[in-house]
Amino acid sequence: MTTTTKMPMSTPAQVKSESLLSAHLTVRYPGKPPVLRGISLDIARGEVVGLVGQSGSGKSTLAMAILGLLGRQRATIEGNIIFQGADLLAMSERELRNHRGRSLSLVLQSPLASLNPALRLRTQLREAWRAHSDNNATSTDCDRAIQSALKSVSLPGDAEDPDFLRKRASQLSVGQAQRVLIAMAIMHRPALLIADEATSALDVITQSEIMELFARLNREIGMSILYISHDLPSVAGICQRIAILHEGEIVESGPTEQIFTAPAHAYTRRLMAALPQVPVRREVLLARAHAATLQ
Amino acid sequence: MNRARKLACVVVLVVCAMSLAANWLAPAGYAKQFREAPDAPPSHQHLLGTDEVGRDRFARVLYGTRISLLLAPAAALVSTVLAALVGGLAGYLGGFWLRLARGFTDLFLSLPWLFLLITVRALLPLNVSPLTSVLITFLILGLLGWAASARVLSTSADALRNSDFILQARASGLHGPRLFLIHVLPNLKPVLYAQFWISIPVFILSEANLGILGLGVAEPMPSWGSLLRELEGLISFREEPWRLVPLLLLIVVMTSFQLLLSNEEVTA
Amino acid sequence: MNMSKPGRPAFSQFLFCVAFLSLALSAVASAQSGGELRFCLRSEPKTFDPLLVDDDSSLSIRYLTGGVLVRLNRHTQELEPDLAESWKLSKDGKQITFKLRTGVTFSDGSPFSAEDVAFTMQRLMDPALHSSTGDAFRSSSGAVTTKIIALDQIAITFPAPIAGLDRLFDQVAIMSAHSPKKEAAVLGPFMVAEYKAGSSLLLRRNPSYWKKDSQGRRLPYLDSIRLDIQSNRDVEMLRFKRGELDLINVIDSDYFDRLAASSPGLAHDAGASLDSDFMWFNLVASAPIPDYKRAWFRSTNFRRAISEAINRNDLARIVFNGHAQPAVGPVSPANKFWFDSNLKAETYRPDAALNLLQADGFHLQNGALLDKAGNAVEFSIVTNASSKPRERMAVMVQEDLGKLGIKVNVVTLDFPSLIERISQKFNYEAAMLGFRNVDLDPNGQMNIWLSSAENHAWNPQQKAPETAWEAEMDRLMRAQASAADPKKRKESFDRVQEIVAEQVPFIYLVNQNALSAVSSAVQGADPGILSPQTFWNADRITLNQTKRASR
Repeated sequence: MTTTTKMPMSTPAQVKSESLLSAHLTVRYPGKPPVLRGISLDIARGEVVGLVGQSGSGKSTLAMAILGLLGRQRATIEGNIIFQGADLLAMSERELRNHRGRSLSLVLQSPLASLNPALRLRTQLREAWRAHSDNNATSTDCDRAIQSALKSVSLPGDAEDPDFLRKRASQLSVGQAQRVLIAMAIMHRPALLIADEATSALDVITQSEIMELFARLNREIGMSILYISHDLPSVAGICQRIAILHEGEIVESGPTEQIFTAPAHAYTRRLMAALPQVPVRREVLLARAHAATLQ
Repeated sequence: MNRARKLACVVVLVVCAMSLAANWLAPAGYAKQFREAPDAPPSHQHLLGTDEVGRDRFARVLYGTRISLLLAPAAALVSTVLAALVGGLAGYLGGFWLRLARGFTDLFLSLPWLFLLITVRALLPLNVSPLTSVLITFLILGLLGWAASARVLSTSADALRNSDFILQARASGLHGPRLFLIHVLPNLKPVLYAQFWISIPVFILSEANLGILGLGVAEPMPSWGSLLRELEGLISFREEPWRLVPLLLLIVVMTSFQLLLSNEEVTA
Repeated sequence: MNMSKPGRPAFSQFLFCVAFLSLALSAVASAQSGGELRFCLRSEPKTFDPLLVDDDSSLSIRYLTGGVLVRLNRHTQELEPDLAESWKLSKDGKQITFKLRTGVTFSDGSPFSAEDVAFTMQRLMDPALHSSTGDAFRSSSGAVTTKIIALDQIAITFPAPIAGLDRLFDQVAIMSAHSPKKEAAVLGPFMVAEYKAGSSLLLRRNPSYWKKDSQGRRLPYLDSIRLDIQSNRDVEMLRFKRGELDLINVIDSDYFDRLAASSPGLAHDAGASLDSDFMWFNLVASAPIPDYKRAWFRSTNFRRAISEAINRNDLARIVFNGHAQPAVGPVSPANKFWFDSNLKAETYRPDAALNLLQADGFHLQNGALLDKAGNAVEFSIVTNASSKPRERMAVMVQEDLGKLGIKVNVVTLDFPSLIERISQKFNYEAAMLGFRNVDLDPNGQMNIWLSSAENHAWNPQQKAPETAWEAEMDRLMRAQASAADPKKRKESFDRVQEIVAEQVPFIYLVNQNALSAVSSAVQGADPGILSPQTFWNADRITLNQTKRASR
């Protein structure tokens, strides 16, 4: 793979320390041990952070908690999630809605299931755009936004394939579907994109294409990405920092290279030990990790 | 368009055209009693014979088709929309609302409708013109027929609520009625279609039964329901096969519609 | 022995004994093998006690098993001596004296005497028994006394005169005062031998039955009668056609025509029955209907016009396939004695009807009839939904009146709602119903014609008669009820019939014919209009065994 070599070494001018999101929280459901226990997670502007853990470790809970979609009646959330200087947990539903899809967006694991089977792509994209458009925006504005989003994810716009937007989810390949979802997610240029196992369901080639897309969008738009995965190697390529989530707690976090070269926590070491032992492959991973950290 | 659909299309068009042209095809009208020839077999003058009081059955079938074909679907539409609102919305909202709606529909289904309809009849005036009676009848059917469909819909909508694409839509900032209308409702469409098509023949038959409570389509106005009720006392149709025409027509038209619309839904 | 159900096992065992006994006896006694007659009861008999009979099935069993003092001949409509050889009514109409037949025994062999008659009357009139047969004898409060003059002579005295008293005894089956078998000891031609609840009933000939034919042979000719309990008329008809049944008492006109077409000779049309179908307008002062409509309905001219505008011949011909007659009035022409032969059925005269309406200020405008004030004449007819013939009649009346520019709305209602409207809420304009008349005597119609009566349908329970003609009817009905002389009674009741014809409170439409089916194997049946239509002379019916076998 040549992903890393394609990335330019010069990065947009950013103050790395400027915090975009800072979450400290405990989440519990009634009558059960906490799903997330006093975890702390910080994401700086423009940063790609990996969140790695097994299924059931509470990764998705964290994503949903940030988006305010946990269902407040059932789950109790303690702590705070400071996003762009304001506490998401203190916000009303209306304020949260204003963030969802505009400054905070989400890409889910199974692309085909995440697209509405009954709707044409144009309708879905248009709806996503309309959710945060000005009242006086015209349908031309909308079309322009859709075309530009499609272009960003390397999907054919009306000029290339006039039929594409008339399709439904069932007529797409998995990779195409994931790109459509990403196009939807970036339409309003979000400050933070949460990718919840966004590449896990994809085959290896598509996976790397999508990862490359994420990396490119990170560079071009400057949006931060919270990249959630159970798969440590896939995270290595694009994340500058990695947090390891184990049984509801963040057991270790640090720059990618550090995690790979000097894992401190026993769990992290176990994860590393589980990596493929083919030397070359390990070298590539390390190189990638190095490159990502340098960003 | 395959051959079956073409045939169905022709059938529907012919039936609609004939019922619309009833004034010309059966100029004697549905109410005139040919008292010299009651219960007559088909003849040149009466293509399908006459009924017990000598009214031209062909005319009654045409006019009855006009009424039932217009109003039974209208009533089915009313009940399906109500079912979509109650069942679909409750399923989509989930939790408390779902339990409330299910409780309500169960209660609604278990009400002693016979007695309630008798009360409805008692509240309505006796002097109702046949045309008004038609509208009242189908309005009642529409307003009462939603509950069973609503239960089916609430289950489907409940499943949708937890789907990835609804989560994705909510994460995109969509909410409220628009989310329901744009994202939930279209996915209920197959269920809604099914409920709609099931309702139509049910309503056509229920209309005949409402007649027993004085709530059906009033005499002398014909409807498919009243034409089917004529078959009640029929012992051997081998002697009078033409009396089965209304029943056959009902079956043919329903089948044609189903052929036409179910295919459209798949390809659309 | 199972004692958990005290009544039924004991009774059925008892029946078994009777059956066994009668089997043995009939083998000896019946030289002429009469075979078994079979027909259906349409419901489960509610009782075997002849004094408690209220339903049709029990009535049939009582007719076949019970012995009565006098019997109304269903053919001649004359009263004939039965267990009483003769009887005498006192001048004041309060007392009746019977001279009883001697040498008669009950089916169990116990002798019949005046004591049994006294016992039956005492039991019948016991208020605690709540007998509806007894109600007919209860004209006023006070005790009924029986006086046994001799073993074969008894006088029964009532506290007040009862018109047509002798005829009422046609309904009183005499019970044994002493027999341990109680109601199972009977005086009629047959006795209950076997009863399978919900399925069938077997009657065997009563070997002690007193009647003999002209050749001196003991009646009845039949060995037994099997009664199947079958409420489904389609099944009944099917079984009749298969030859499994010999009689159907009442069939409707559709069945009749089908039967007549397939096997002529089996379907019997006995002509107009006592039953009538009619319609009427709501004349109740407090009824919740517009005043102008009440004014129409209260106008005699309006009611007569409606009556004349209805084509009764068409109703009879089309709705009943000709098996009905245009009705004349309260009394069917089939009621030989009481029918006022001066009256005729209203003929269809739409022109005369229009003239009558114009006399009242009604006029036609663009084909619609308007009253003086310009209100369009429109009213609804309510009728019961369960009756197809009535629904069809209403539709035909709708058409007939439509020709006069009158708009009629036909509303079919479930029976309870209909009754509530016409007898309690008075929330209706016109109604169409029928009367099932079982009684020939006008006394049975007191509850219709008295203005204070509940069934005075057009304006019931009046405190004082609201019109002169209703006052006159009240007077005449009371006069006929208190007179002992049948001729005087008839004069009064004729006048009542004439008033009804003049004032048209009820618009009589048709008398349905009495239609029945009798298999060709049955000989001696004489289907008539009075219940029980086909087997009223069951004791003289015989079966042609060869005909039956060949079917």
